[in-house]
Amino acid sequence: MEAGKQAHVYIVDQGSTTAECHSGRVESDLDWSLKYVYDKIATVLAANRTTLSVGVLGLRTDESENSLYNDDDGPEDESYQHIAVHKELGPITLSDLGSLQEKLVPSQTEAGDAVSAIVVAIEMVNKFTTLGTGKPAKSGRKIVLVTDGQGYIDNTDPNNLDQIALRCNELGIELIVLGIDFDDLDYGFKEEDKSEQKRENEALLKSLTDQCNKGTIATLIEAIDNLGVPEIKSVRPYKAFGGRLALGDYEKYPETALYIDVLRYTKTKKASAPSASSFVNNKSASNGSSSNTLGDTDMPDAPGDLSAVKSHYLYQVNDPNYPLGKRDVDRDDLAKGYEYGRTAVHISAAEENVTKMDTYEGFSIIGFVPSESFERYLVMGESCMTVAQSVNEKAVVALSSLIHALHELDSYAVARIVLKDMKEPKIILLAPVIEPDFEGLADVPLPFAEDVRMYRFPPLDRVVTTSGATVSQHRYLPSDELTDAMEDYVDAMDLSTFGKGEDGEPIEYMTMEETYSPTVHRINAAIRNRAIYPDEPIKPPPEVVMKWANPPADLITNAASQLKRLQKVADVKKVEAKKKGKRFNREQITPLSGLDIDALLDTNTTQAISSENSIPEFRQALGRTTSEAEILSTTKQMGAIIRKLVKESVGEASYARALENLRVMREEMVDLDMPEIYNDFVKALKKALLGGELDSNNGGEGKVFWVDVKRGKLGLIDQSTTDGSNVTAEEASEFYSSK
Amino acid sequence: MADSRESWKNEDEEEEEELDEASYIAQKDAVLFAIDVSSSMLAAPPASDARNSETDSPTVAAIKCAYQIMQQRIISSPKDMMGVLLYGTEQSKFHDEDGTTRGNNPYPHCYLLSDLNVPSAEDVKALKAIVEDEDEANSLLVPTDEQISMSNLLFCANQIFTTRAPNFGSRRLFIITDKDDPHSSDKQARSQATVRAKDLYDLGVVIELFPISHPDHDFDRSKFYDDIIYRDPIEGSDLALGPTTLKSSGSGISLLSSLIADINSKQVAKRALFSNLPFEIGPGFRISVKGYNLLQKQAPARSCYVWLDGEKPQIAVGTTSRLDADSGKDVQKAEIKKAYKFGGAQVLFTPEEQKELKSYGSPILRIIGFKPQNMLPFWASVKKSTFIYPSEDDYVGSTRVFAALWKKLLKDKKMGIAWYVARNNATPLLVAILPSQERFEEGPGSTQVIPAGLWLYPIPFADDIRSLPELPAPVVAPDELIDEMRKIVQQLQLPKARYDPSKYPNPSLQWHYKILQAMALEEDVPESPDDKTIPKYRQINNRAGEFINNWGKILAESTKVLKTMKHELDDDDVGPPAKKVKVKAQSLEDMSVDEVKKAARDNGLTKHTVTDLKHWLASKGLSTAGKKTDLLERIEQWAENS
Repeated sequence: MEAGKQAHVYIVDQGSTTAECHSGRVESDLDWSLKYVYDKIATVLAANRTTLSVGVLGLRTDESENSLYNDDDGPEDESYQHIAVHKELGPITLSDLGSLQEKLVPSQTEAGDAVSAIVVAIEMVNKFTTLGTGKPAKSGRKIVLVTDGQGYIDNTDPNNLDQIALRCNELGIELIVLGIDFDDLDYGFKEEDKSEQKRENEALLKSLTDQCNKGTIATLIEAIDNLGVPEIKSVRPYKAFGGRLALGDYEKYPETALYIDVLRYTKTKKASAPSASSFVNNKSASNGSSSNTLGDTDMPDAPGDLSAVKSHYLYQVNDPNYPLGKRDVDRDDLAKGYEYGRTAVHISAAEENVTKMDTYEGFSIIGFVPSESFERYLVMGESCMTVAQSVNEKAVVALSSLIHALHELDSYAVARIVLKDMKEPKIILLAPVIEPDFEGLADVPLPFAEDVRMYRFPPLDRVVTTSGATVSQHRYLPSDELTDAMEDYVDAMDLSTFGKGEDGEPIEYMTMEETYSPTVHRINAAIRNRAIYPDEPIKPPPEVVMKWANPPADLITNAASQLKRLQKVADVKKVEAKKKGKRFNREQITPLSGLDIDALLDTNTTQAISSENSIPEFRQALGRTTSEAEILSTTKQMGAIIRKLVKESVGEASYARALENLRVMREEMVDLDMPEIYNDFVKALKKALLGGELDSNNGGEGKVFWVDVKRGKLGLIDQSTTDGSNVTAEEASEFYSSK
Repeated sequence: MADSRESWKNEDEEEEEELDEASYIAQKDAVLFAIDVSSSMLAAPPASDARNSETDSPTVAAIKCAYQIMQQRIISSPKDMMGVLLYGTEQSKFHDEDGTTRGNNPYPHCYLLSDLNVPSAEDVKALKAIVEDEDEANSLLVPTDEQISMSNLLFCANQIFTTRAPNFGSRRLFIITDKDDPHSSDKQARSQATVRAKDLYDLGVVIELFPISHPDHDFDRSKFYDDIIYRDPIEGSDLALGPTTLKSSGSGISLLSSLIADINSKQVAKRALFSNLPFEIGPGFRISVKGYNLLQKQAPARSCYVWLDGEKPQIAVGTTSRLDADSGKDVQKAEIKKAYKFGGAQVLFTPEEQKELKSYGSPILRIIGFKPQNMLPFWASVKKSTFIYPSEDDYVGSTRVFAALWKKLLKDKKMGIAWYVARNNATPLLVAILPSQERFEEGPGSTQVIPAGLWLYPIPFADDIRSLPELPAPVVAPDELIDEMRKIVQQLQLPKARYDPSKYPNPSLQWHYKILQAMALEEDVPESPDDKTIPKYRQINNRAGEFINNWGKILAESTKVLKTMKHELDDDDVGPPAKKVKVKAQSLEDMSVDEVKKAARDNGLTKHTVTDLKHWLASKGLSTAGKKTDLLERIEQWAENS
């Protein structure tokens, strides 16, 4: 969207001929042209800027309603008949769009002169953009005519067109004519069996736009096709720092330290989709009749029978003298503080900033590094661009010397920056940028020691065995053949010259400028669409966004043989979905040495599972079972332990443990594909918990444990989890309701 | 929390991001240090002539290490638990809260120095006392004469994990010892220990061994510990890392720092951000990868509310409920509709529609094609990268294919361009797939600093790129000035010619916790922070002062010239007013062949910038590599030959 003030008038041809469908379209010509007009209006609505003014004129309307037709004093001017102002120039709202939609329907007439409508629009624009002083305001001016070219245009006085074009040029108006099925050989469109009238009109309108300095005529299909290209919200440049870039301490060593006056601007910033607010159906309000009277503009945020959702905060502390050991406290009775581990550190209001480090605004170089040592995946986020203060020639030349020195040495600078006094210091990496019309230092944020938490990973070019030996041939390592096939494939899939320039020359494919943020544009498109056509369902993501979700078809075709070879050599095999029911022959797990621990376990006596070591013993006992009956009895023992833990819990102290036991039981039953054992148990458990059977004498409440079970999603095992279950997903989710 | 109101307001925007981090943090980690206390572990290292020779015995080094790690974890993972258990001590101590100490201690010669929990100020204090107060240390660190039972130790750890951290997703036991065969003569005790180790495995506790070798004895894992330690099930059947051994010796790097480095590298539980994400190399050809968040911006925790009316200050736990603003009734999440402001009205979507709007199909990392890495401009950065590593779980052979791709990208400095949906309903991103070369810390410890693998580097969308204000055309500095600046740059290289994050702790973060720690431990608040990010001014002065001074003089001189030139231009009434001040010579491309030749003969080329020279060379199909002198030589040669 153009910046600054704008005044745009849309002229929509709604003559009776626009009710017809042409060129194989199923929508009427009017609906088709409105697709364009509404999209443009929606863009204005989305921008939410009062400086954007829109006017809408109907052409070939049944009624005649405009300042030139029925001027205050003079007689009605017939040449301006069948032109109606649907909306005067001014800011537009969603409700305006609603009333426009009612008015913009095909009329019963074919009469109405398109060029006259342009004249009416010119006067609308002129009036709106002329200041009280009589001088023209600083504003963009644009008139868009969308027409099927079927109406009669009076061209008896050829000078007329010249006059109109002259007026447009005087006022600086941009005139765009979009014709339904107008011929455009460049765009590859030609209408067969065109009427003589239309042919003449096309020629006439073309000669008009040709005479305008800013005139364009195009076939509507081209404009519609271009609607898919998203508009990018333009944001005013943001200055992220202005001050001195120092090298050395210029206050302490004025002779041997330097500084350069610079400005630093934001270069990248993650664009975010518009944010939504929460509402809820307000049933009570819809019963009352008076709450939503028309014109009630005091509640712009609550549409119709909806009310806003607000948040409420409740604070609790532990206090054994209160029920369940929790006591509600008022926020006003609380002091501010921080957590140090699990210790609360109270900070009095007077000391509020005690944990803040004193810092002073500044930008200072720490040192230099060769550019090849830069590991760019360590960059922490958004970038900025530093330039010299432009009016300060000394600074311009000084910064230029640094930029060129870095460039010539293939080096980057590491610098510390504090954006404002008391803000935290950051470390950034500066790189020279030299373009024909630009010199600057781009910067990206670097991580601090605490921000990097490297895990160690085995190398990819050798395999280290458990004994510590290094192997270079292994199934985890690519063979020479695989390496070779991968090289060919990567080279075949090159995008750096896959794009086509204006003259068909090879250029980079998929540049940053062509890729649009999927979330931003999908949400925006959905909002517009919902605003214009409230009854339509959600659409799939826009084409312009999904274009980059797959490799281009031509490229794939080119690389087909390389891919085929790569796949063959790689010999990758998909792992079959987990084999269930590995009941009595489970894989034996051994320590690194491969020692058979099970042989050491006392397997002769079937020991009871102890409460204190329940999980390992339960798992080991299951591993020894040889019949379903044994599995059942082992699980029963575990069940008894869970019940005991809950029943004997001091407050909620043992709940976490009981829950973990339950989780393990569920996991094992899923693994063994014996869901019914678990389901039977958990059904009985739920009953006992809600029935108060398992409330402990020490303040534990079974109901509370049930909430934990729900939260842990430890309910019934359903069919989607394991085939053996006869519980449906609905039954499983129904189970969580406390009945 | 004090800031929760603010955070609520932005919740919708942050929801996505938070989900990302939340699922990651949800898997809490509990680490229990088991430190061997024995006469050999308490022996001071052999004397050495080396500077900074260490005096700490392995046990003391291990306790110091635990002390440091505890303070680090308070900052980096405030919800995670940690505990310290000494074994082999004369004294015994177990949980002291719920009366377990009554009667006989069930675990003789196990001394629970700090119970497994989110660390408190007292826990830090207790460790600090031993580290700083020798008497305290000497009275506690007395080894027993009795034979230590490893099965007893392992079961003690089992019980600590079972009761203190029953539902933690990650539970690890760090054993620090120099005894590679604790039960050499007692077969029975040995097999009991292996059984107890299996219990820990079944409980889900991972044992990490930090073996200490002495100059006269190398620790041999196969004697005992290979029977105790299991492959980490999270690693699955994937590649394994080689083991490390730490040496207690009097020379070189101290045991403490290598111990800290080693523990640090394992300190953070290896939590995957996602597992088994399909990685589509080409249509119909997939492997699977796991993703890791190796970069995470650490910031001070938000302030909270503290209740002061009890015996001890207590953190008040806040819960949020959503209310209907009109009726004040509770609102369920499913009832909430989302509306967007649009043209002065609200446009509504149901929760299902909201969900649909976020869906871009199932998670995938799909290659679109490849480009040279230099096609990604330096400034093209919006978000930190995610590390990926192959997994054999879904596709057998993933590792070798991944390794082949990694090798190719590294060799040709290429990058993959990919469409990336990390989770269901995650925002799709376009990422550059960048390879990283394995890198080790220099020195004998040789800890891995950067792993070999691929990184998903988010590429900015057109929407993310901001425009700069209108700027006047640049004025290129004269060569003399650039030459002088080059000397300055060369003088002030960072050590080892790279930015090493580990050398730069975040000063404000450290200060925040240092103050909190002092307040929590009721100690004196330190006076000034130790800010490693402040440039070394004296060094800059010493090394480059002279050149900077020179540079300043040249700058003053050249700006004077500029001023007069500008003045002359301003006075010049003929022709349109000059908007740009030109000090740079006519660009080479604008010069005729003869002019260039003439300039080459008269040494007139030095005036031209490197960019100009490179442009010209490129236009003639000549190499643009090398420094300015190389470029000049090449042009001169061309002038002679043609």
